[in-house]
Amino acid sequence: MSDIVDIPIISRGRVLMPGPDAVEFKGRGGARFRSPDPHKHIQDLVLGSPALLADLNNTKMRDIVEFLVEVGKRLRLEDNPYLKDSFALALQAGGLAEPILRGVYDDMPRMFDGGALLDLADRTIGIAYLDGWVPARGEHSHVRVRAVGTRQLHITAGNVPVVAALTIIRAALTKSDCLIKSPSNDPLTANAIARTLIDVDAGHPVTRHLAVAYWKGGDEAMESQIVRTSRIDKITAWGGMSSVKHIQKFLTPGIDLTALNPKYSVSLIGREALSDEAAMQEAATGLAVISGFYNQTACANTRIVYVESGLDEKSLGRVIELGRKLLAAYKTLPPVISTPAPTRNSELEEELKAASLDEDFYHAEGDTLNGGFVVSRFSDRVDWYDQLNNRVVNLVPVESLLDATKWCDDTTQTVGIYPESARERVIDAFSLVGVQRMVPLKGADPMRIFAEMHTLPPGMPHDGIEPLRRNVRWVIDHRPPEDATVRIQPPSPTARPFTVS
Amino acid sequence: MSISLLPDNPAAWTYRRFEELYAIGREEREKLQLEAVRINFARLRDRIPALKKLADRQGVRAIDKLEDVLPVCFDHRVLKNYPIHIIENRDFPKLTAWLDKLTVHDLSRVDLSGLTTIEEWLARLEAYGMLVTYSSGTTGKLSFVPRSRDEFGPWRAHFFNVNYASSGVDPTFTRLPTFFPGHRGGYQTMLKMMSLFNVEMAGGPEHYHTLYDSHIPADLMALSGRLQSAEDKGEVERLGLDPALLQQRQQMLAQGRRREQDMEAWFGKLIQQFKGQRVKIGGTFADLYRVTKAGLEKGLRCEFAPGSIMIGGGGMKGYKDAPADWEDQVKQFFGVKKLGNQYGFSECIGNAPLCDAGFFHFLPYAVPLLMDKDGRAMPREGVQKGRLVLVDPIPTSYWGGFVSGDEVTLHWEEDCPCGWGGPRAAKTIRRFAESEGGDDKITCAGSQQAYNEFMEFVSGEGQ
Repeated sequence: MSDIVDIPIISRGRVLMPGPDAVEFKGRGGARFRSPDPHKHIQDLVLGSPALLADLNNTKMRDIVEFLVEVGKRLRLEDNPYLKDSFALALQAGGLAEPILRGVYDDMPRMFDGGALLDLADRTIGIAYLDGWVPARGEHSHVRVRAVGTRQLHITAGNVPVVAALTIIRAALTKSDCLIKSPSNDPLTANAIARTLIDVDAGHPVTRHLAVAYWKGGDEAMESQIVRTSRIDKITAWGGMSSVKHIQKFLTPGIDLTALNPKYSVSLIGREALSDEAAMQEAATGLAVISGFYNQTACANTRIVYVESGLDEKSLGRVIELGRKLLAAYKTLPPVISTPAPTRNSELEEELKAASLDEDFYHAEGDTLNGGFVVSRFSDRVDWYDQLNNRVVNLVPVESLLDATKWCDDTTQTVGIYPESARERVIDAFSLVGVQRMVPLKGADPMRIFAEMHTLPPGMPHDGIEPLRRNVRWVIDHRPPEDATVRIQPPSPTARPFTVS
Repeated sequence: MSISLLPDNPAAWTYRRFEELYAIGREEREKLQLEAVRINFARLRDRIPALKKLADRQGVRAIDKLEDVLPVCFDHRVLKNYPIHIIENRDFPKLTAWLDKLTVHDLSRVDLSGLTTIEEWLARLEAYGMLVTYSSGTTGKLSFVPRSRDEFGPWRAHFFNVNYASSGVDPTFTRLPTFFPGHRGGYQTMLKMMSLFNVEMAGGPEHYHTLYDSHIPADLMALSGRLQSAEDKGEVERLGLDPALLQQRQQMLAQGRRREQDMEAWFGKLIQQFKGQRVKIGGTFADLYRVTKAGLEKGLRCEFAPGSIMIGGGGMKGYKDAPADWEDQVKQFFGVKKLGNQYGFSECIGNAPLCDAGFFHFLPYAVPLLMDKDGRAMPREGVQKGRLVLVDPIPTSYWGGFVSGDEVTLHWEEDCPCGWGGPRAAKTIRRFAESEGGDDKITCAGSQQAYNEFMEFVSGEGQ
């Protein structure tokens, strides 16, 4: 692709197209972009004074949600020109195949469902706290608390476009000022949503508190200007070290960093799954969905499967059989969930090839186009597990599923489990070592398994934390006791205060 | 061709002068190379189990044209595709069985009794007639080159030859006291080559001066990442390592922290001691520049005798923001005319010396090919950039065809102003990466490589 794509800066209801001061940058797969020079627009990006959040602070949550619902209605790929552009670009970038990407975009309006948004705000923060001051209980009712919006910088991930939508929603629901630094692998989605906001109501406080720009991560001139306590209160950085390491030097107390680290996910398959064909088939289908959805580009995708099995040839033969069923199950996945990879991953292919040269240690089948698997013939994952991609998984035999805790930590996000009867005996141990979510693999129907694992009630934690709660400022309004709404008896002279000695 | 070379014995080519080897015409050389590769592959194909497996799978019976060799070249990973846990558990039978598949020698006869360290294992293999060395890449996992005594002669002859080519001084006749700002001994490829060849070139161990007189045991190199994470978890004892080894690790870490000062002091002494004498200076260019910078800041300048030489390596890896004229500064400070340099990898014997025009010229016994990102052979003409594949026809005990991880620009036309022949590689060499992910691609998937404090400190890269 040699055409240059214009990426405007979005600044509080205004669209600043690249002009004579434009700068160019490169994206994935040789794409070229042009954007106004962000160095000349710092004042357009940051909110100089937090007092300027008053308009958003005074807007009721119901109004904010109504506005978001209106925006959501317009986020349909078929009639939103901005999304069409960002879709086309994402397609060219080649991270996700067309049917999957279309599915992701088609899902976007659902993220703006009014009921769900109200629920999200209410369950994580509490709408009463966002819209006003909430007195403490009983005799302490003269002390009131409010959740107040902040000035946020979001360094977003670009592998799945929902991150941009999620970020805009979360910032709006916290009544916060939001500056999004787009990633080079998805420079347009946040832009497209922001421009839709402008089309709906350029003067709405949510629109007036959203800015989107691209600059190169590590651009000190930019980041030293932006990451200051006088301009930013909260930073949410996706992608962990790669995005944080640049801004680290500007972090000072007063700036609260939420690092959404790169995550890695696994599945656990209990011994029972290998005992009969039907169970093995069900496990394989579940594994195909959790490894294959979004073509294994997401953090929740399983890359390593720990299987309860002996190390003798017969037992390993069953594990290999599970691997073969998994490859066969990939072929049954609807294209909206998963497709063969558009291109080979030559590095990974070399790893597979090298592994298959040594049958004492590994058994490898498949490739990086249609998916593959490597069975370790011992209880350890492959040394190159961090390269597993293109629907290639490592099946690791373990004596007990609990043995796999030693390979899990804070970077292990989602754990698929089969059968359900194994769940009780592992959930606590795995939650202690750091995993953040355990999901079912049962069901045997790909669409149902996929829908099931992606349907959470509003307000659930994200990667072990509650980003919304964390991104507001909790303010106390401590009045004299006389202002308490509940009258209380003065303390009795004989009562002793509770002290810790 | 003014010299006579036999295709069934490329080892013997290394005993010819490099000028004679470079002077062979292209057509003649390529015919000879093809024949040598064809013969060597035919000899080894069914005798090296890993090669046989690969060749069977790829359906390659014989080499008829040079490009036929591509599908049967080992990816560089093959020399380290053992599972790391056999190193952690020091499972020597398994490690030996793994290595056995890469050599024609029967390693099942090696006595493995009583072994407790990788270092001892390597020594046991050496006693058996192997010359196995290791190198550690960016992941810290050791790759083992399954060389043996069979290759010693040509390995030595080539190394003398290429040192002559890159410095202009023939080490066979001129023995120069040598300085090397690093460790000494052990089985790491470069350090093993030092013991095998450089000490001899210097005129004996007393003329070979190193910053430290010990080496880093292979065990510490192999386990550095694992040790760090075990330490974090308070599980070091569970690894069951010899306490002496752990103590050595602490010493290495301490050494790493004061390395720069040690180096300055050590060089400072040698500079005085060898004033007016001809010397040879080795090391990584990053280190040599560090010494230069510290020296020049103090207004110092070495006063070695004219004809002193420098052969460095490693580029400026581990040194950030070097000034554009760092090479001139190094030359000026040490008083040498050129910075001798070579390019190659430990898997292949024939590394290529740097010429005066700034190119690495391959000798006839190192046969380069370029591959595009889809693994297809690129044309052998003009100037091409691709992934370097190097076929070494010399070894008779292991297979010498390797796919590197390097992206190299090769000039096939033999028109280098320096006068040397052979295909030549431009100086800028980088890791062959997949198509770029953009300026700063961010994704939520992946895992962080464990930070390897030990390696960084010890190699001086963490400074």
